[in-house]
Amino acid sequence: MTDSSTQIPQVNPPMLSPMALAVRRFRKHTMAMVGLGILVLLIFYVSFAGMLLRGYCVPLKQELRGEAWANCNDTGSKLLPPSSEHLFGTDVIGRDILARTVYGGQISVLIGISAAIVEVLLGAVIGSLAAYYGGWIDNILMRITEAMLTIPSLFLLIIGARFFGNSLPSVYILGRELTGSVLAIVLIIGVTSWMYLARIVRANILSLREQDFISAARALGASDRRIIFVHLLPNTLAPLIVSATLGVAAAIISEAYVSFLGLGVQGATATWGNMLDGAYRYLETAPWLWFFPGTLILLTVLGINFVGDGLRDALDPRSGRRM
Amino acid sequence: MKHLKSVLFLMIAFMLVLSACGGTTPEAPAAEAPAAEAPAAEEPAAEAPAPTFSGTATITFTQEPDNLNPMYTSMSFSGYLRPFYLVPSWSFDETGNPVPVLVAEIPTAENGGLSADGQSVTFKLRDDVTWSDGEPLTADDYVFTYEMIMSDKNVPQSRYPYEEYVTSVVAEDPTTVVITFNKPFAAWSTSLFYWLLPKHILQPVFEADGTIDNAEWNRNPTVGVGPFVLSEWETGSHLAFVANPNWINPPKLEQVFVRIVPDDAAQEAAIIAGDTDIGVFLSADQIEKVEEGGTVKVIAVDSGYNEAWFLNVNPDTTHPAMLDVNVRKAVALATDRFTIVKDLLSEDINPVNVTFWDATPPYQTDTLEPYPYDPEQAKELLDAAGWVDSNGDGVREKDGIDLKLRYITNTRELRKNMQAVVEQQWKLVGIGVELINHSSDIFWNGYNDGGPQAQGLYEIAQYSSVQNSYPDPDASSGWVCDQIASADNPDGANTQGYCNPEIDKLMAEQATTLDPGKRKELYNQIQQIIYDDYVYIGIWQDPDLWSLNNRLTGVKFSGVYPFWNVSEWEIVE
Amino acid sequence: MTNYILRRLAQAIPQLFIISIILFVLMQAFGDPIATLGGRIPPRPEDKERLRRQMGLDQPVYMQYVTWLVGNDWNKIDMDGDGISETPGKRTGILRGDWGNSLVTRQPVIKMIGERLPNTLLLMLTVEVIIIIFSLTLGLVSALRPYSVFDNVVTGLSFIGYSMPVFWLALSLMYIFAVNFRRWGLPYLPTVGMYDPAVGKTPFELFKHMILPVTTLSIISIAGYSRFVRSSVMEVLGEDYVRTARAKGLRSMLVVGKHALPNAALPFITLIGLDLPFLLAGAVVTERIFAWPGMGRLFIDHTERADFPVLMGILMLIALAVVVFQIITDIVYSFVDPRIRLE
Repeated sequence: MTDSSTQIPQVNPPMLSPMALAVRRFRKHTMAMVGLGILVLLIFYVSFAGMLLRGYCVPLKQELRGEAWANCNDTGSKLLPPSSEHLFGTDVIGRDILARTVYGGQISVLIGISAAIVEVLLGAVIGSLAAYYGGWIDNILMRITEAMLTIPSLFLLIIGARFFGNSLPSVYILGRELTGSVLAIVLIIGVTSWMYLARIVRANILSLREQDFISAARALGASDRRIIFVHLLPNTLAPLIVSATLGVAAAIISEAYVSFLGLGVQGATATWGNMLDGAYRYLETAPWLWFFPGTLILLTVLGINFVGDGLRDALDPRSGRRM
Repeated sequence: MKHLKSVLFLMIAFMLVLSACGGTTPEAPAAEAPAAEAPAAEEPAAEAPAPTFSGTATITFTQEPDNLNPMYTSMSFSGYLRPFYLVPSWSFDETGNPVPVLVAEIPTAENGGLSADGQSVTFKLRDDVTWSDGEPLTADDYVFTYEMIMSDKNVPQSRYPYEEYVTSVVAEDPTTVVITFNKPFAAWSTSLFYWLLPKHILQPVFEADGTIDNAEWNRNPTVGVGPFVLSEWETGSHLAFVANPNWINPPKLEQVFVRIVPDDAAQEAAIIAGDTDIGVFLSADQIEKVEEGGTVKVIAVDSGYNEAWFLNVNPDTTHPAMLDVNVRKAVALATDRFTIVKDLLSEDINPVNVTFWDATPPYQTDTLEPYPYDPEQAKELLDAAGWVDSNGDGVREKDGIDLKLRYITNTRELRKNMQAVVEQQWKLVGIGVELINHSSDIFWNGYNDGGPQAQGLYEIAQYSSVQNSYPDPDASSGWVCDQIASADNPDGANTQGYCNPEIDKLMAEQATTLDPGKRKELYNQIQQIIYDDYVYIGIWQDPDLWSLNNRLTGVKFSGVYPFWNVSEWEIVE
Repeated sequence: MTNYILRRLAQAIPQLFIISIILFVLMQAFGDPIATLGGRIPPRPEDKERLRRQMGLDQPVYMQYVTWLVGNDWNKIDMDGDGISETPGKRTGILRGDWGNSLVTRQPVIKMIGERLPNTLLLMLTVEVIIIIFSLTLGLVSALRPYSVFDNVVTGLSFIGYSMPVFWLALSLMYIFAVNFRRWGLPYLPTVGMYDPAVGKTPFELFKHMILPVTTLSIISIAGYSRFVRSSVMEVLGEDYVRTARAKGLRSMLVVGKHALPNAALPFITLIGLDLPFLLAGAVVTERIFAWPGMGRLFIDHTERADFPVLMGILMLIALAVVVFQIITDIVYSFVDPRIRLE
């Protein structure tokens, strides 16, 4: 086997900043660009398609637009196959699936991003505290991390779903009322997924801590907080970004699992996950029920994973992946 | 490469160790038990030459039975299996009529079985019934069963009705059992001795261990009394029953397999694929799909259940509006249950029900009709009651309180869908709603554990229910004042806070009324009062839907013991 | 070495202790097991009160934990409800090998787990072997020819597999190969269970019933593992010593076999070592759909009924396995890579 040509140009030393190098590597990553393309289209879809949506809601006897239309049910026209009136068909109580994939997508993406933020915050803070202070703080934090890691994540999700259950109040985000269960799902997913990230951050910082520029900062009298947040964390940004990206994908899938087990977002609020809940019973007879939300989950997760993979290769070519 | 090999070797070695550990420990007891009991069960089979059995029927269950000793479970799925291996004193056929099984005749006033004062019942047993190991079944087994249920050394699931009503169970001779009550007991025929424990097996266990809680028989009742005998219970997978050739009414089938299939969709696939002869608890929207191939039909069997709304009228916990009967009436009139039933279920199988007793013939109402759908009248009632939408937000209010009701149910998909439909229907009349779903174990949580239903954290609770002693109509506990759940009475069964002295009086009277005609008259009055109080809004009758493959004939599902006539089942290819 | 193992084991004890307390507290978030005992009919108030008392559920949480941990045979319980504790307890606690009894089935927890564990191991070890074989092969070939057509196809497919919700895949496979194939008169696979009870527990039956769940789980997991193999092999191939070896003119296969593979194996072993104990947990969703009587289903079934002795048993067993495997992984590590030494 001949040496692959891709490795040679990297040996050439063009004088580029690390950032520019990363961007360059990312743009050469075909899959990442495809993933980015998919994501841009999806974001347009969930953000703006809603403006075009409207329909006549028979039971309410009025023309509705946007989310009101997505929540309008008409049991008389349930399970209609895709047609010009309902491009994606209707669900078991006659709601327009096209409109629900748009608004459900917003919630699913929101859940994915928020859960990933919770995950990254927890992971980064716990990991860096443990690494920086060491000693008994490290010991306690890592024992908790290990304890959490010894419980299978789906079991944690299930127990978490019970724990937060219906105890959270409704919240208003971007003018939409979201039931407490949305917040609960975000917390459950976030709180059960930070452990690997905490370990990565800790390992990274442990190796950074002994390097000269930190000693220099310390000698200059920088505070612990400053050292952690200004010097240490930014230098471990690459794995953070990659983890956060992949975390969004994992959270969207987790939401679907939790919904499948009947513990997902409740009430009229659609999410891609709870649209699939129950839809599997119509695998054959009404494939549009599961096909559209299922495909959207697949595409979103696929796009995010492609991008995440590209980011990893671009930012931190040496890092492995633990899934 | 060498390293990799050694690693793989280590891994494989470890797996083997693991699987070996997993393999031997659990199987040992399982293998021992049948070995110990098998000779007893098989010997008579070898002697008796004739009855020929053929074919294996397969049933799917969506949940696994808890325990096969009925003393330790009241789960429906465990109960369904009893006609195979532990038959009742008498069964109920597909029309709800009693059919003698262990007794020679059903005790009545005419044949002297039921005393004139209604305070004692005499069971006349058949003299030819034996346990599957050949030991005769006698009145002593009845006495032993009673003693085990009442013994403080055991932890039975329920002591109903022995605890409240029974003062003694006496074996007068091997085929005569006399049961005396402390007061006339109307529901005796549906709740006394519908299963028995084998004294000759369990008495030694009780004497040795001081309890039968951990008896091997509970898990492996390989000695039973019925047309079949349990041959194997592979947990999580299946239970197998084989024909009992010595049974008084030998079955035609050779075996019955009960497969545990926890997923509705998977069960549906198994039904369609013909992998199972009988499927359980189907929903109305599955009928068309399951029957499509022409080999399966779906049969609806009333088992007393009705899906309904229970309105919270407890002033300590409920929304102030709910205390006004006209608001409750408006809630009923504002809800188009007819369309919901038509579109989400099946009008024929699940018609809108009227009262709690709709599926308990002959006690169902003869005169009442379901509350109609009349949103205009609902609006008028709400206006008149002072609930008006003055701030234009679409929800009515009064004295600064929004008419927003908490509507709770469990996480079942059909109920979630119905919630969404109701939310929209109520928009038309200006009733706001908060939809809440709890998983079932949380929903039924006790009062002291913050159970939302027990604590009355709702205005409307939706679930399907039946009285304890179905097909007897007695449902006193849920409806009387002194059963209202509260911090002082955390186990109270009346979680609606409904209190009507009239009902208290009638309920007490019906419980001791033995004449069916008079009792029906009392139930007519009870139903009329509850109907007029608007505390129970029927949604749909909820019969059990069974699927039946054409190749299995002779099956007549009953609402009490679905498989009561299993002896007559036959496979026709 | 022995010292190291002993020290790690000593550390593991407080860890397991902490886990058990966390879990026991979390279990309080579940519903009332007594309330759902009656199936569709809630139990009568008198029975609820008696069952709670006889099963010790009326005790404060810490007492329940103590009973779970060390038993109650040194104590008396009130069986007859007269308010006086008269009957000596029978539990000996998990420290003395008594995992307790299920509140729902009244069976010993250890027996219930023992009945499910072999089924889960059978399924999951098969899956694991298939995953290892496929992901090693695919990952290696991909890494040796990065960005080739083969690599791109494998990468694309593995991403699709990785991005697919497992219940979606499971049910699609079931409907295609079990339901529709039968309809079309093609050779078809069974829908659910471990074997057809009518045929019996033959190896061939078992094999047929394993195809769909194993395929489902493999498709979902091969993706991630093969990506992992690919990236670690590529990383090693980029190292100086491999380049040197290649520059010296050593044959590629030799370089890969002698240098790249063993080094790339290291992270892979860690990965597998960390994953193996979780096999005990089974696959909740897949086991549920295919009615596979394993640990995952045991967990789900008993979650719905708040049967905490069973849940505690399953989770503690897994925790124990994780701790043991962490130690084993570390030891294996030191064998594979002489640079790592356990002090």
